[in-house]
Amino acid sequence: MAEINHYTAFGITISSDLVMPELQPLSSQNVSQPAVWIRRGDSSRWPSRPWSRHGTPSLRLAPGECRLELEGLLRLRAWDGCRLHWQRWDDSVSDRDVRTFAVTCGLGALAIQRGMLVLHGTALESQGQAILLLGHPASGKSTLAWCLLQRGWRLLSSEFSVVDEEGLIWPGLQQLKLWDDAARQLGVDWAQTSPVRRGLKRYALRPPVIACAERPLPLRCLYTLCRDKGAAPVQQEDEVKTLAAQIRASRAFSQQGSLLSLRNQAFHPRMYRGMGLEAGLFTQAGALARRSPLHRLQVPEGIKAMASALEHLDLLDPASLQVPVEESGDG
Amino acid sequence: MAEPKGYWYLASYPKSGNTWCRVFISELLRLSGETPTEELHLNWDLNTGAIASSRLWLEDQLGVNSCDLSFAELDPLRAAAGASAWLFAEGERFHKVHDAFRSPDSWGRPVVSLEGCRGVVYILRHPEDIAVSLSHFFGWSLNRCVAFLLSPTAALVPDPGHGGQQVRQHMGRWDQHVTSWVDQLKLPVLVMRYEDMLHNGSDTFLALARFLDLPTNQDLVNAALGNTAIGRLQALEKQVGGFAEKPAVCERFFRSGRSGEGAEKLSLEQRHELAMGLAEVMARFGYEGPET
Repeated sequence: MAEINHYTAFGITISSDLVMPELQPLSSQNVSQPAVWIRRGDSSRWPSRPWSRHGTPSLRLAPGECRLELEGLLRLRAWDGCRLHWQRWDDSVSDRDVRTFAVTCGLGALAIQRGMLVLHGTALESQGQAILLLGHPASGKSTLAWCLLQRGWRLLSSEFSVVDEEGLIWPGLQQLKLWDDAARQLGVDWAQTSPVRRGLKRYALRPPVIACAERPLPLRCLYTLCRDKGAAPVQQEDEVKTLAAQIRASRAFSQQGSLLSLRNQAFHPRMYRGMGLEAGLFTQAGALARRSPLHRLQVPEGIKAMASALEHLDLLDPASLQVPVEESGDG
Repeated sequence: MAEPKGYWYLASYPKSGNTWCRVFISELLRLSGETPTEELHLNWDLNTGAIASSRLWLEDQLGVNSCDLSFAELDPLRAAAGASAWLFAEGERFHKVHDAFRSPDSWGRPVVSLEGCRGVVYILRHPEDIAVSLSHFFGWSLNRCVAFLLSPTAALVPDPGHGGQQVRQHMGRWDQHVTSWVDQLKLPVLVMRYEDMLHNGSDTFLALARFLDLPTNQDLVNAALGNTAIGRLQALEKQVGGFAEKPAVCERFFRSGRSGEGAEKLSLEQRHELAMGLAEVMARFGYEGPET
């Protein structure tokens, strides 16, 4: 019988037969009734059902249910917002392999089923206020997050984040993943990291190596990141200002532009569609677009440049990062 | 016009004319009124379809963070990504591919989805000219480019410790790449030589338009061809302040577009190396090496 562990993420109490160091632990005395159960399952006993046409061969979707199948690795079944069953493909698949996908795809699907607004991005806190970094793969979210953590910020959640109807952003996945080249250039201490999965040259940083926020915090603003591909920095009167000018924010998007951008940067929009929850996503994204400003944030291509450019910048104050006139902001 | 169904691949070894082909398609659609913009804009109008190696696209299809999978794990899964034709957005029907049809890690499967795919345009170019073009594009020496064309393990984005917007694309040796697409029997193929696009554009692009179910009015095809000639593309690149697909080390994406540059710029030894390594497929497609 596997040992049961208790965690909290996104305001949900979780009971899991997998050890999940990515989540904030809870002592079992503090858990009366978990809201989510994560358990080993047997896919041969999972019921057949009609699937949405929005699914893919890897991702089958229906109202209230999401199933993931990664051939050679695992199967996951997340349903009714409270159950997540997992099955490894064979004995070569480790618990670490399983939990890598369980805490991302699995937990994300459950959060969507629970009616939450789940965005594909990394949330950080400073001075009691949160920012959310959105952006496509390789846009620099994790690198920027690591640089901010070095400057005293705390991580709320990485990979995906949940914003509630009051504009609070909740602690979630408390782990930052960095590629080998980024970790090297940022001078990360290897003794404090572990590979995300065996054989991957991608490393996980978790508490206490990184500081994490433990309570929900008001969202000050959102940034959607884009890389500054090779553009020459605007020369300023001194080097510090030249570096700082490499990170620039646009004016806030219009509410409509913000709504569309947030909808596109939901955690797997396909899951929302396939589980019949897209209307709710639009409503929630619209409410967030009215409540919190979204800016485009241009970040330098080079990793070291990113770290240096942050020296004198305040991401809680997007206006201070704006270059007047040239940015349109409606992306 | 009937609603378009299905999609195509535009496959090629890098620097073989794939982008020119995509620009031509965009321009032909624009001129025929399918995409009503006043003038072709390189960085807005080239959305002919996602590159098959895009992480964003794969993550949407697989439902997971592709960075959590190794390249060896990803390759066999890629064939299932996009297995339903309707998943491809309308208007985005032409997907660029630089991968070979199969990779050593793909368990014998193609690395692209076949379901709903109507065919592949395979664009090939003289390997000597590719070497010169690669050298400008990547900022590599000609020696390195020749070795790359001859390497059975050549790949784009090969570093497993670097996260980019695309996953690794195994290509292998140039001749392996060519035959992997041209000789596969799963998809109808139109083979287009860059040299024919250049010297017999009217017929070559008309054949392309027919294959892709695009408008086949010869005047329109010629007009699109005229609007996408190398000089025009260079002017457009300058106008938009840099083509979005240009790497930082590359001064400009649309450089010379000529054929025969390899024979001028490679050493005799480098040309012999290519000719010896790639002889059979070069001869098959009418590419000559140095005189012995």
